[in-house]
Amino acid sequence: MAAWRDSRPWPGTFRAIFSAYGYLFLFLGTAVAAIVAREAEVVFVLLAALILAGLSRSQTLRLLIRWQLWAFVLPTLALSPLLIGERNVHLWGLWFSQEGFWAGLWMVGRALSIALATAVFTRSISVSQMAQLFEGLRLKGLGFALGVATNVLPTIQETMETSYQAMRLRGGFRTRRLRTLKLLLVALIAGSLRRGDDIVSAAESRAFDPDRSPGPLISPTRADLALAAGCGILAAALLLL
Amino acid sequence: MKFSVRELVYIAIFGAIWGAVELTLGSYLHVIFPPLAETFLVGLILASIGVVVALVGRHFVRRTGAVFMIGIVTAVLKMISIGGVKAGPLVAILAESLLMELGLYIARKPRRWGFVLAGVLAIAWNFFHKFIMMYILFGKGVYEIYVSMVQQGATLLRIDAAYALVIIVVLFLIRIVAGGLSGWIAWDLGRVVRGRLAR
Repeated sequence: MAAWRDSRPWPGTFRAIFSAYGYLFLFLGTAVAAIVAREAEVVFVLLAALILAGLSRSQTLRLLIRWQLWAFVLPTLALSPLLIGERNVHLWGLWFSQEGFWAGLWMVGRALSIALATAVFTRSISVSQMAQLFEGLRLKGLGFALGVATNVLPTIQETMETSYQAMRLRGGFRTRRLRTLKLLLVALIAGSLRRGDDIVSAAESRAFDPDRSPGPLISPTRADLALAAGCGILAAALLLL
Repeated sequence: MKFSVRELVYIAIFGAIWGAVELTLGSYLHVIFPPLAETFLVGLILASIGVVVALVGRHFVRRTGAVFMIGIVTAVLKMISIGGVKAGPLVAILAESLLMELGLYIARKPRRWGFVLAGVLAIAWNFFHKFIMMYILFGKGVYEIYVSMVQQGATLLRIDAAYALVIIVVLFLIRIVAGGLSGWIAWDLGRVVRGRLAR
């Protein structure tokens, strides 16, 4: 059973059963099932993704009310009957393709299933859990690198904005844009690496060793393995039926 | 893959720089060019800068697997960003970093042509990425859908369908050139940064 060190609240039922591997299998299984599902089979995959999202992390269902999602769904539904297949249905003075309508619908189903699975995976495990997962997959030190990257990201974004504005105000982007972009990158990378030296000194002074794991390594639980087997069987059934 | 503390910090920094480019510049570009209307240009710009950053990173972490680690860090940062989770960019970042790694592996030692090859392989992925994501979203029969779209596009533009193929080849070549150029620039940029740090 996985024992996490961070304080992220886990949904009651799932915490007792699945480790981070379970969520990884859930994500990969849903993605594979959505890809191999033919036409109406996508509906079953989407239903399964909705149920699992609701059970494991109901906040992910908020994805369905995001405008960015509908900005993809609505044009797809509206345009596919016009762009795909032979237009054979006359409606409201326009010719539509029945084949295109269904193709658009299945496409939206696939995209929604994958989006939900990705959201459940990323919202359910924290960065530290993800790092431990990578450590378990023999990517030593990646957990530490991820921690450092998350910490330096805001500083780098700020430096990037400031350097860009400074160069723009000096007329840097008016002529020779590629050269200015190169200068911007040099300034950003050199500045960040100088800051990196301080991080190295701090880590070394604390006797940090990348070979030592930052926490207990995760091993898949029986439920994770059962879930992986279930996903595999479902994908095989979709392929064979 | 075993890295020292310094190498891990450098991996983190280059991953964070690529991540910052994706988050900051990516948001601007997606506003300027809405995703449904223009994926070619946005993808090309972001991938080119990403390739430059990752390959400059390879100048400082001279070990196999470093570029892939930078890619993983970037993908995770992208995954946890406020913008939300999108499978497309995550797949693209990971595939690009793996292909860069392949290019560098073929070159064995860090050389200019190795960097160029790595850049070409990484940005050439952009072309296939669209097809793969279309396959994932459309499902089977993507070829038929693609052919029908090309035919309808050709009818719409009143050009011969054969020219559509020419356009596709040109788009692929643009990516190859951009990739090569990114690798070339990364080689020079790495040396410039190293020179600046040595001052």
